[in-house]
Amino acid sequence: MSDEKKTFDFAPKTLGAGFIHKKDLVLAIILVAFGAFMYYEAGKFPEAPAILGDTLNADVFPKMLITILFILVAIIPFEFKLTPAKIAKIDKDRGDKTPPITWISILLLLTIVSFAEFLGAVVTMFITCLLLPLVWGERNYIAVAIYSVVFPGFVYLLFNKLLGLYFNPGILELLK
Amino acid sequence: MEDVIRGFVLLMEVQNLLLIFGGVLVGVLVGALPGLSSPMAIALLMPFTISLDPVASISMMAALYCAGTFGGSITAILINAPGAPPAVATALDGYQMAKNGEPGRALGLAAVSSVLGGIFAIVIFLFATPLLADIALKFGPVEYFGLSVFALSMLAAMSGKSSIRNLVAGALGVFVSTIGVHLATGVERYDFGVQELTEGIKFVPVLIGLFAMSELLAQSKTLNNAVERMSAKALRLPTIAELKSLKGTILRSSGLGTFIGILPAEGSTVAAMMGYNEAKRFSKTPEKFGTGCAEGIVGPEAANNAAAGGAMVPTLALGIPGSGTTALILAALVMHGFRPGPYLITETPHLVYAIFGAMLFANFAFLGIGLVGARFFSYVTFIPKRFLWPSVFVFSLIGSYAYSSAIFDVWVMLLSGIIGYFALRNGFSPAPFVMGLILGKMVEETFTQSMVIYESNFMNFFDSGVFIFFVILTVISLSSPFWPQIRAKFKPKTVE
Repeated sequence: MSDEKKTFDFAPKTLGAGFIHKKDLVLAIILVAFGAFMYYEAGKFPEAPAILGDTLNADVFPKMLITILFILVAIIPFEFKLTPAKIAKIDKDRGDKTPPITWISILLLLTIVSFAEFLGAVVTMFITCLLLPLVWGERNYIAVAIYSVVFPGFVYLLFNKLLGLYFNPGILELLK
Repeated sequence: MEDVIRGFVLLMEVQNLLLIFGGVLVGVLVGALPGLSSPMAIALLMPFTISLDPVASISMMAALYCAGTFGGSITAILINAPGAPPAVATALDGYQMAKNGEPGRALGLAAVSSVLGGIFAIVIFLFATPLLADIALKFGPVEYFGLSVFALSMLAAMSGKSSIRNLVAGALGVFVSTIGVHLATGVERYDFGVQELTEGIKFVPVLIGLFAMSELLAQSKTLNNAVERMSAKALRLPTIAELKSLKGTILRSSGLGTFIGILPAEGSTVAAMMGYNEAKRFSKTPEKFGTGCAEGIVGPEAANNAAAGGAMVPTLALGIPGSGTTALILAALVMHGFRPGPYLITETPHLVYAIFGAMLFANFAFLGIGLVGARFFSYVTFIPKRFLWPSVFVFSLIGSYAYSSAIFDVWVMLLSGIIGYFALRNGFSPAPFVMGLILGKMVEETFTQSMVIYESNFMNFFDSGVFIFFVILTVISLSSPFWPQIRAKFKPKTVE
C-alpha cells in the first residue's frame, strides 16, 4: 500500500485531515457554541420555590445534558481516527457542495411558508404544485397546469370536505 | 382471553378493517417508492388520525409499518433500488434472480418469507409483551431511569453512519424535549418569549420535517436519475418443497430478526443485514450468494419483517421504542392520550391485542396485495419526482398545520426539515434524534423522581440491583461500536 493510500484510509486529504478533521471541527464548534448558549440560558432559570422541598431546579437536567453533549461533541473531530471507514463515507456524501437547486428549493419553500397564512391553504397548495415542478425543471407545462389544479383540488375535497379538516381560507375570503 | 377477543372484535369493525387495509396499501406504496419511507408516511398520517378512533389509527400505523418493510423489497428486486433501507440486503440476491429471468419467483420468495417472519414475531409479541410488562410493573423511577438511559445508549449501536453522531443526535433530541414548562417547578424553559414555545416543541411537526422535508431536499439533487425496471408479470409463490428446503433459514432469520427488533433502538435494517450474513454462514452453498440464490432473499426478508414485529414489544410493554418507526407509533399513542409502557397492557389491553391483530391482518393483506399488485407497484417508481415531492410538501404543510391549526407548527416543520437535511449530510440520522425527543420526557421525569427519592444523591441509585444491571448494559452498548477495532488489535497476526 502506498503512503498516499494509507492517508486516505484515515481521512480524505481533500478535507485537510491530519491530526484533526477540519469539517468535523467546524461542526463541533457550532454544537459547542449552541450548547454553551443554552447552558448560559439555563443559568437564568428561576430557582424552585422552597415549598417544593427537595424538587430539583429546572436547570439541573438541561445542564447535565449539555455537559454530556460537550463530551460527545469533543470526540467528533477525532472520530475519523476511531472509525476511519465510516467517516470516509460521510465525507463522500458531504464532499460535494450543496447544489444550487437545493438552495433554490429551500428559498422557495421558505417563501411559500412565509405567505401561507395570507394566501390560505388552497392557494398555497396551488402555488406549491405550480412552482416546485417548474423550478425543478419540469417543462411539460400542460402536465404542470393539470397537476397544480387537480392535486390541490383532491387534497381539499378529501381533507376539508370529507374529513372536515379546517383549511384557512386566507386570500380567498376577500373574494366572498 | 376476554381482552384478546375484545381487541379482535374492535378490529373487525368494517371501518377499522378498511383503515388497516388502507394502511397496508400506503405502506407497500411508500415502501416501493425510493425516498419515501414508512416513518415518513406515519409522520405525515399522524395529524390526520387525531379525529379517528385510537384503536383504528394505531392499528393502521402498525399495519403500514409491516407492509412498508415488504414494499421496499419490490423495487429492490425489480429495479435494484431498495425502496427502504431494510431491503438493501434483499437486493443483493433478489435483483440477481430477477436478472436471471425469475423476477416473479424472487418476489414470491420475498413475500412468503416476509409473512412467515412477521407471523413468527407476532406470536412472540403476543406472549412477550405481557411478560415484559409484568416485569416492568415492578420497576420504580430509578429502574425506569436506568432502562431509558440504556435505550438511549443503544443509539451507539444503532445502524447509521456514526455511533458518536447517533448519540449526539439522541442527546439533542432529549434536550429539545426540555423546552417548555418544567412540570416539577412550573418554570418556563427556553421559550425566549415565544408564547408557542411554553407548551414545548410538538412531536408531529418535527417528525414531518425530519422525515419528509429533509428527504425532499435530499431528493432535489437526484431529479434526473433514471431507473431500469425488470418486467414481472406476476408474483410466483414458492412450492412446498422449496419452502421445506428453506425452513431452516426462515426460522433462524425470524428468530434473529425478532430478537434484534426487541432490542431498543435496533431496527429492521440491522436485522436484514444480519439475516443475510447468517443465511450465508449456515448455507451449504455460500458461494452462490450474490448470484440470485433463494436463501439470500428469504434470509433478510424473514429477518426484517420479524424485526418489525419484535420492535413493537419494548414499544408497547416498556414505552421504549424498538426502532425509528415504532418511536413514531409511540408518539401517536401519546398523541391519543395513552400512556405507553406497562400500564398500557394493564389499563387498555384490548388496544394492545387490536394492534397485534392488525399486524397479523397486515401480513396476510400484503401477501394478497403482492400477489395481484406486484406489477403495479413496480410501475409506481415511474411517477416523476418533480410531481411526487411537491405532493409530499403539500401533505407536510397540511399535516403540520392540521395538528393545532397554527402556522408556528408549519415553521417548526420546515426548519426541522432544513436542519435535518444539513445534519443528514454530516452523518446525523433523524431516527436517534426522534428517539431522544420521545424518550426525553421520561428520562427527565424518572431522573427527577429518583433524585427526590434518593435525597439528591446520585450514588444512591446504585442501591438498586436493576439499575446496576442497566448501567452494565449501557457500558456494553456504548463500547460495542469499538469492539471490532479492539478485536483486530489483539488478533494474532498471521505470517504470509
